[in-house]
Amino acid sequence: MRKVTETDLPGVGVRFDLETDAGRCVGVVAHQTGRRDLVIYDERDIDRACESVELTEDEGHTLGELLGGSPVLEHLDDAVHRLEDIVISWVTIDPSAALAGLTLAEAALRTRTGAGVVALVGEGGSIPIPAGDKRLEPGDTAVVVGVPSAVKAATGLLTRPTP
Amino acid sequence: MHTGGDLLIIELGAVVLGLAIVARLARRIGIPALPLYLLVGLALGEGGLIELPASTEFIEAGAEIGVILMLLMLGLEFSTRELIDNVRRSTLAGIIDFLLNFAPGFVAGLILDFEPIIAVLLGGVTYISSSGIVAKLVADLDRIGNHETSVVLSILVIEDLAMVLYLPIVSGVLFGGSVLSTTLTVVVSLGAVIGVLGVAYLLGDRLSAIALSKSSEALLLTLLGGTLLVAGLAGRLNISTAVGAFVVGVALSGEIVSHARGLLLPMRNLFAAVFFVFFGLQVDVSLIPGVAVAAVAVAAVTVLTKLLTGWIAAGRTRIGRPGRLRAGAALIAHGEFSIVIAELGVVRESDLGALAAAYVIILTLVGALLYQFSDSIPVTGRKWRARTRGGASPG
Repeated sequence: MRKVTETDLPGVGVRFDLETDAGRCVGVVAHQTGRRDLVIYDERDIDRACESVELTEDEGHTLGELLGGSPVLEHLDDAVHRLEDIVISWVTIDPSAALAGLTLAEAALRTRTGAGVVALVGEGGSIPIPAGDKRLEPGDTAVVVGVPSAVKAATGLLTRPTP
Repeated sequence: MHTGGDLLIIELGAVVLGLAIVARLARRIGIPALPLYLLVGLALGEGGLIELPASTEFIEAGAEIGVILMLLMLGLEFSTRELIDNVRRSTLAGIIDFLLNFAPGFVAGLILDFEPIIAVLLGGVTYISSSGIVAKLVADLDRIGNHETSVVLSILVIEDLAMVLYLPIVSGVLFGGSVLSTTLTVVVSLGAVIGVLGVAYLLGDRLSAIALSKSSEALLLTLLGGTLLVAGLAGRLNISTAVGAFVVGVALSGEIVSHARGLLLPMRNLFAAVFFVFFGLQVDVSLIPGVAVAAVAVAAVTVLTKLLTGWIAAGRTRIGRPGRLRAGAALIAHGEFSIVIAELGVVRESDLGALAAAYVIILTLVGALLYQFSDSIPVTGRKWRARTRGGASPG
């Protein structure tokens, strides 16, 4: 990858500059707000932005794709492929469900289904990697991870009364 | 029916409408509105064209809220980490900036035979550029991407931080009594500032999470109430309300910041304008002719020292001459902080008020114009790694 110069813009964000082989300079201003400015520098006064195009976060991603995609994103794609046998599901716990109101230890979801609860999200905030004494409160959302069949079974126990 | 109340509302309405007219005018001709707000203030009040018997008290309270909101919003732009990193990186530029630009005001104060502490205030007035005006100029002229802009922003941040130390010190000296009690006040207030900044650094995230609310009404009231309370207590301790509000802004971080900006901006715009009007009201207009020569002279010197500051600071980061000139020109505009500083001393030395008002009006206009047209001033550009291939570059 080419050398990119990174400069902090206090209160605004970060500026990245790239100098091309042909002697031109292009830059990107990444605002804290998510906005991106694509900047083309003047040929004769290399410090002056002669053209500055404001892009939303989404437009920035699209332009990045058009220019050949970011190597960072390609890495992510690889990771997603390797993860394709694993499913992450957001399940809202139904009050009538078999496991509603139980602690994670009492519910023993992993032993029963093979799927694990990696986070609980509720009114009082979210609990990442919850311990066994945390309760599956009705109305809260459980983030369940596992192979598709295990997640399906776990979803059933969290949303329906025991048959 | 209370006729007094009606009169208050009529006066306020007229003043705000007057401000609206000059704000539109400023936009038309492409200059910052701040100097025109000051002119409105100078034109009104005792000795001015129209007196404001009913609303002066209200405007004074509004002005104090204006300072607090300006500084709160300035603080919101930065996190403590960003401030620390920035000071580490740009200490030398900050010191050069201070030495070059504090001197003109301080020396002028001594020549004008002001008390030493008033000369220190005038030094502060000439030292500090206007982050508000510069940030707006940079955005309006689409120069955020310019290479010199990072240098300019770094210097402005250091100046704002310098105020966090400067304001408590001068307030302590101005309002303290004997040498001993003054020293004590200054030490206590600096300790308090450092303590509060420490708390902001350690607990900022948690406080922000507590203050956050889904109801914009509740959030606005929390922000405003909390900031006024902290700023008021800071004022009580002679740390200055401005510093208190700035620290609150710095302490807040994360999701709350963007909500806070959106909620506070309209209020800030209103009350900041009121603050400049109030400063104008306080200034005895009849004193201005007497200080006009001094104001022009100090302004002329500061234009040169700020240009030099930007030239040196930008040069240190390998920026070419046109960029170095732009960096200097960007730093010329003075505004809110100069007025906040002058306001501290206006009661002790009425000439300071008149001088600062004239000085800020001149420098804001000159700075805005110079920055806008700095690219038309011919200085040769750096040839970036001077590549000469095929055809020569045009021009």
